[in-house]
Amino acid sequence: MLKDITLWQYFPGDSFIYKLDPRTKILATFIYIVAIFFAYDPASYAVLIAFAAFVIGASRLPIWLVVKSLKPVWLIAIITLLVHMLTFPGENVIYTWSVFKVTAEGLETGLKMCLRLILLLLFSSVLTFTTSPIVLTDGIESLLWPFKRIGVPAHEIAMMMTIALRFIPTLLEEMERIIKAQTARGADFSEGNFLKRLKGMLPILVPLFVSAFRRADELAIAMEARCYRGGEGRTAMHSLIYKARDYASLAIVIILAAVEAFMRWGA
Amino acid sequence: MIYLENLKHVYKDAEGDDITALDEIDLHIKKGEFVAIIGANGSGKSTLARHLNALLLPDGGKCTVAGLDTADEKNLWEIRQHVGMVFQNPDNQIVASIVEEDVAFGPENLGIEAGEIRRRVDKALAAVDMADYAKHAPHLLSGGQKQRVAIAGVLAIAPECIVLDEPTAMLDPKGRREIIKTVKKLKEDYGMTIVYITHNMTEAMEADRVIVMDKGKISFSGTVREVFSRVTDLEKLGLEAPLAAKIALELRKAGAGLKKDIITDEELAEALCR
Amino acid sequence: MPIELKNVYHTYMPRTAFERCALKNISLTLRKGETVAVIGPTGSGKSTLMQHLNGLLAPDKGCVMVAGTDLAAKGDAAKKVRNSVGMVFQYPEQQIFSETIYDDIAFGPKNRGLTPEETDACVREAMAFVGLDFDAFSKRDPFRLSGGQVRRVAIAGIIAMDPDYLVLDEPSAGLDPASKEAILKEIMELREKKGIAIILVTHSMEEAARYAGRMLVISGGELLFDGEPAAIFREHKKELLEIGLDEPQVFKLSGILKSSGMDIPEGILSAMDLVKEIKKAKGWK
Repeated sequence: MLKDITLWQYFPGDSFIYKLDPRTKILATFIYIVAIFFAYDPASYAVLIAFAAFVIGASRLPIWLVVKSLKPVWLIAIITLLVHMLTFPGENVIYTWSVFKVTAEGLETGLKMCLRLILLLLFSSVLTFTTSPIVLTDGIESLLWPFKRIGVPAHEIAMMMTIALRFIPTLLEEMERIIKAQTARGADFSEGNFLKRLKGMLPILVPLFVSAFRRADELAIAMEARCYRGGEGRTAMHSLIYKARDYASLAIVIILAAVEAFMRWGA
Repeated sequence: MIYLENLKHVYKDAEGDDITALDEIDLHIKKGEFVAIIGANGSGKSTLARHLNALLLPDGGKCTVAGLDTADEKNLWEIRQHVGMVFQNPDNQIVASIVEEDVAFGPENLGIEAGEIRRRVDKALAAVDMADYAKHAPHLLSGGQKQRVAIAGVLAIAPECIVLDEPTAMLDPKGRREIIKTVKKLKEDYGMTIVYITHNMTEAMEADRVIVMDKGKISFSGTVREVFSRVTDLEKLGLEAPLAAKIALELRKAGAGLKKDIITDEELAEALCR
Repeated sequence: MPIELKNVYHTYMPRTAFERCALKNISLTLRKGETVAVIGPTGSGKSTLMQHLNGLLAPDKGCVMVAGTDLAAKGDAAKKVRNSVGMVFQYPEQQIFSETIYDDIAFGPKNRGLTPEETDACVREAMAFVGLDFDAFSKRDPFRLSGGQVRRVAIAGIIAMDPDYLVLDEPSAGLDPASKEAILKEIMELREKKGIAIILVTHSMEEAARYAGRMLVISGGELLFDGEPAAIFREHKKELLEIGLDEPQVFKLSGILKSSGMDIPEGILSAMDLVKEIKKAKGWK
């Protein structure tokens, strides 16, 4: 049940997007997000949507997977839309219901906000679906490398992310098992007020933390036994090499951002 | 390959009292040997294992691995390249979310260049019959498969000796069979030295030599036949003896003239039905 | 008041790419006082079946009735019968969360709404069954016990709920041989004294042969065999080996002796019986 979480999980496959260097994909995602905030009129949004559709198509990810990754934000998107629709001041009233007025301006802003949210999530989920966690962290480590001089612990951050990603499914499975075990002992997690419910969570949280600490301890020993001693002198099996397709892809995204900026301020 | 001389290990328990986990351990493990260490929970067998690659250091006596003293900090990394270690819980020793990335973890730590890492990873995965799973996510594998990935992770460091600390305790019978098969292959095809810690009698019977531990000391040791025919001594320590040996003992008690070193079903059948 | 499963089907993640059928048309009845071993390879559906016995999972099709009440029903009657089936998961020590052994064992009885006095009586009785001395252990920290002891605390936590049926998923996993035997003996004594049913999920054919009066063999989500262990091991040896299960060592040894020409009967389950039969065959006393 809990293993069925598709958001931000790697989905093994092969396509042009899969083959891109993780740094390209991280930077491209970043630039695209900036471009989202440049967008202003319907035409500029249309360009963004077209580009996202193109990238999803090029990734060859199954559509159901991409759609499913939006599951956690549907509610937020709808609330965003409603709030803007009902509260945004505007002239052109389309519909009135008691004290609420739906204006054309409000509807437009709401739709835009929703679109931003959805596009942001879609694009970043293409990044995480097509990039294995470990390659992703390699990319982050490499991108953070220049900041090492000012004290950013690039290797440590990357290693922490790797381990976190590795253990998320394991701990979720464990949580599910503990919940079942305590349910079988008559625990009820749905009764009472907030404080009572919080207290009711202890039979789940305490064993989960105990287990997480034990795992951390054992993992540290196992890593030490496998000659781990920090980032110094480490090599990587997959060295990241920038290829022509990476430069080309990055150029395309930069052009997209430039187009968006031009559509907003250029005219 | 490994020499332990009068090894002692002391730790402090929760109340701050000294507990002697290992005492007067003298042991020599030869190159290419398959040694099983058996003993009840708390007999000190896991503590002993952790001395073999300097995860723990002696509080008395000496531990030498490939001519290197484990007490000397300079030797630490070299010792761990000579002796690899596989632990009980396969989940808690896999670092990466992709099988081959995990196997690469050891050689990456050693600073080996990418092409050589690739070769070692492929070879290690082939040795444990997991080459088909190179791109899989470890949390979706069976226990036996995870444990074989852990073994491959150690093989990629290219040690001469591999210490397995109760590698099958959390596995089902199928997983157990997979691990035993893999370990035998490492000894026979790759000439590796194996130190295998277990309380499973059937698994220990695959070894060349069996060491029986009790309360931090070596209680007795010898070949599989020498150790597993001592039914009463094993049961006194909370360990199992082979069924054939147990039955032979009962029959001898009743006055049957059976040899004292029967341990397998076939030997018992032969002795009884000639 | 038996547990009755009628044509139970269960599918994981229905209508997705991960859809997997875990139970297919399982019908069986478990009665009080029985000792039932459930065996089958990993992934056969054993633990899915187990979780249906106290309503942790509900069937997609079919129903599970305890004492005539449907487990899937809402309301106090269903809740009460769910509590009459105690469930000891694999590595149950991982569910311990209290600072003292007493508090942890008292968790179940308290959830059932018992008074402090009743709870106290339940905890004392449960600790006695698993051989933990009340005065010596009740105030101790469960996280500082040895492997065998912390397992006993966890099992006591279920016994304290006073179940009519006790389901145990590999209660001896990961323990050394002496602790394994001790824990299983305590469980069997519990059955004798309280007349409850024991449902033992195990990977060990030895445990199934030695302790169970009835054995269920599960494979691929289906109930293959249901009967006396000795009869199943004797008559279906080939099928058991095919699905990756072993035969008990005593069975194997008697088979070898028999084929070497010794005159002993089939279906001997314990080592001591085998010794007796060998003596008889050889004319020794």
